[in-house]
Amino acid sequence: MTPHEQTITSAAEGMAKGTFSSQDLTQAYLDAVNGRNPSLNAYLTIFNEEAIEQAHASDARRREGKTLGVLDGVPIAIKDNILIQGERCTAGSKILDKYVATNDATVITRLKDAGVVFLGKTNMDEFAMGSSTEHSAFGVTQHPRDPDRVPGGSSGGSAAAVAADLCCAALGTDTGGSIRQPAALCGVVGFKPTYGRVSRSGVIAMASSLDQVGPFGKTVKDAALLFETIQGVDTHDQTTAPTKSFKPTFPEKLRGVKLGLPKQAWGEGMSEAVRLRMQEAVEGLRWLGAEIEEVDLPYADEALAVYYILMPCEVSANLARFDGMRYGLRERADTLLQTYGRSRAHGLGEEVRRRIMLGTYALSKGYYDAYYRQARKVQTLIRRAYDQVFDHVDALITPTAPSTAFMVGEKVHDPLAMYMEDIYTVGVNVAGLPAISVPCGDFEGLPVGMQVIGKRFDDARVFDIAHAYEQAKLH
Amino acid sequence: MALSLEETKRLAELARMELGEEELTHLGGDLEKILEFVGRLSAIDTTGVPEADLTAHVQPPADDLAEPVSVETHERIIENFPDRLGEALRVPAVFEHPKS
Repeated sequence: MTPHEQTITSAAEGMAKGTFSSQDLTQAYLDAVNGRNPSLNAYLTIFNEEAIEQAHASDARRREGKTLGVLDGVPIAIKDNILIQGERCTAGSKILDKYVATNDATVITRLKDAGVVFLGKTNMDEFAMGSSTEHSAFGVTQHPRDPDRVPGGSSGGSAAAVAADLCCAALGTDTGGSIRQPAALCGVVGFKPTYGRVSRSGVIAMASSLDQVGPFGKTVKDAALLFETIQGVDTHDQTTAPTKSFKPTFPEKLRGVKLGLPKQAWGEGMSEAVRLRMQEAVEGLRWLGAEIEEVDLPYADEALAVYYILMPCEVSANLARFDGMRYGLRERADTLLQTYGRSRAHGLGEEVRRRIMLGTYALSKGYYDAYYRQARKVQTLIRRAYDQVFDHVDALITPTAPSTAFMVGEKVHDPLAMYMEDIYTVGVNVAGLPAISVPCGDFEGLPVGMQVIGKRFDDARVFDIAHAYEQAKLH
Repeated sequence: MALSLEETKRLAELARMELGEEELTHLGGDLEKILEFVGRLSAIDTTGVPEADLTAHVQPPADDLAEPVSVETHERIIENFPDRLGEALRVPAVFEHPKS
C-alpha cells in the first residue's frame, strides 16, 4: 500500500505505529492530487500549504501524547458547498467564484476538533443540482476509471477523489441521492444520514427539508467513523434531533435480519448490468443469514415526482439570496431590478435557472395547491408506506442507481433523463430515512452500488448490514 | 401543460432572472415536459391526507444573538461585498438610476 492509498483506519494505524507521520501522509496525498487533478478535476481548490500546516500540528500533538482520536492527522476532502473559514467556497457556481467563507460549517468545526487535515474542496454540480458534475461551472469531473464517463453527482468530485485515492475519505451532501449515486458510480461507500442527524449550519442550502451532509469512504467502517464525528444536535440547525445513539456492532453475519426487496424498485428501469450484480448481492445477503422477502411499498413510484416539485420550490426560495447585493457576482445595470436580473442570469447556470423557474411556477398563485400542497400530501403517503413496511422488515435493499457510469454528454441535454438517475434514491430523502450505497461488484469494469435503507434514526443498522456484506467479499 | 412565452417571461420576472427570448422558449419547453411528468400526482386521491409534518423533532429557535466576530472575519465579510465604499456595502439605488 503506497502512502496515499490509505483508509482512515489504516492511516490512523500507520501514524500510531510511527510508520509515517501525518505530514508524510498529507504530502503524499497532495503530490497525488496535484499530479492527477489537472485531468480528473475532482478538486476545485487544493490546500497545499494549509494541509501541511494542519498535518504538522497533528504530528506535534502526537509527539506530546495529545492525539485527538482516530481522525487526527487523516487527510480528507470536502464538497465545495460546505464552508471552511477563510477558504473559497463556490458551490460549483460562477456566482460564488470569488466567495471566501467567513465561518466554519458545524461539520467542519467538529472535524477540526477531531484533528482532521483538509486537502481541498471538491467539484460538484452547481448548488448540488445534478447527477453527473456536468452542471458545475468549473467543468466536469472525470470518472476515475474512464475519462469519457461521469462520476455521478452532485458530489461527484468527492466520490472521484475517494475512488482515485486522492484522499482517505470525503464529505458530500445528499438532497435526492447526491452522495449515494456518485458513490455507486465510482465504487466507494456513501452514506446519507437520517434527516435531523447532521447539522447543515454553514452548508449552502439547496432544499432545506431534504438536505443532509454525509460521508464517503473506502470502507463502511470509515464512513461510520466520519459520520459519528459530524453527527449530533446543533443549536445552529433547529432540525437536528436531540442526541440519538449511534452504536453499530459490525456483525459478521446477518442471521435473523429481515430484509425487504420493494417490488416497485425491482421492476423495469434498471440496466441488465445492475440487475445481474444486484441479484448476486441479494444471494450474498441470504448466504450471510438474512431473511429476504419481497415487500410492497405503495406510492414509491411517486417519490420522484414529489421530489421534483418540493425540491425546486425550496430551491427557488433558498437561491433568492444570490442577487448580487451582499456577496457574489454583481452585474452592473441601470436599475436595481436589472442588477438582480443580470447578476442572476449570468451568475447561475442552466440547470439552476431551470429549477428556479420550476419552483417559481409551482409556488405561484393558482398552482400552489395543485403542485406544492398535493406533493406534500403524497409525501405523507410515502412516509406512511415506509413506516408500515418497516413494521415487517429491518431494512430495504435496492440498487442505488439504474445503470453504471454513463458517458459525458449522454444525458446533460435531457433534464428528465438526468432526473431518472435519482429514481432509487429520492424516496429516502422524501421520507427522511438513512441509506448507504456499498459497492457490489463491477460490470465491464464499471462499479455497481447496492443501497441499504433503514428506519429513521436506525442509521447504525444500515452500517451493520453494509459492513457484513462488504466484509464477506462476495463479489 | 402548455406554457406561453408570456407566462414563461412572467416567471423569469418573478424569479428575478433577465433571460432572452430564445432561452425563455427553450426553458418553457423543458418546463412543460417536467410539469407533465410531475402532474401524475394529481391522479392520487389525497382526500383527508394531511401535508407531511417535517417538524417532529424540531428544536425551539435559538436566541438570535449578535455574536462577536474576529477582526479577520469582519474583514472577510467586507471583502465579499461586490461593491463598497470604505467599510460600507454599496448597493444600487432603489428608486432612481444611480450615478455611474
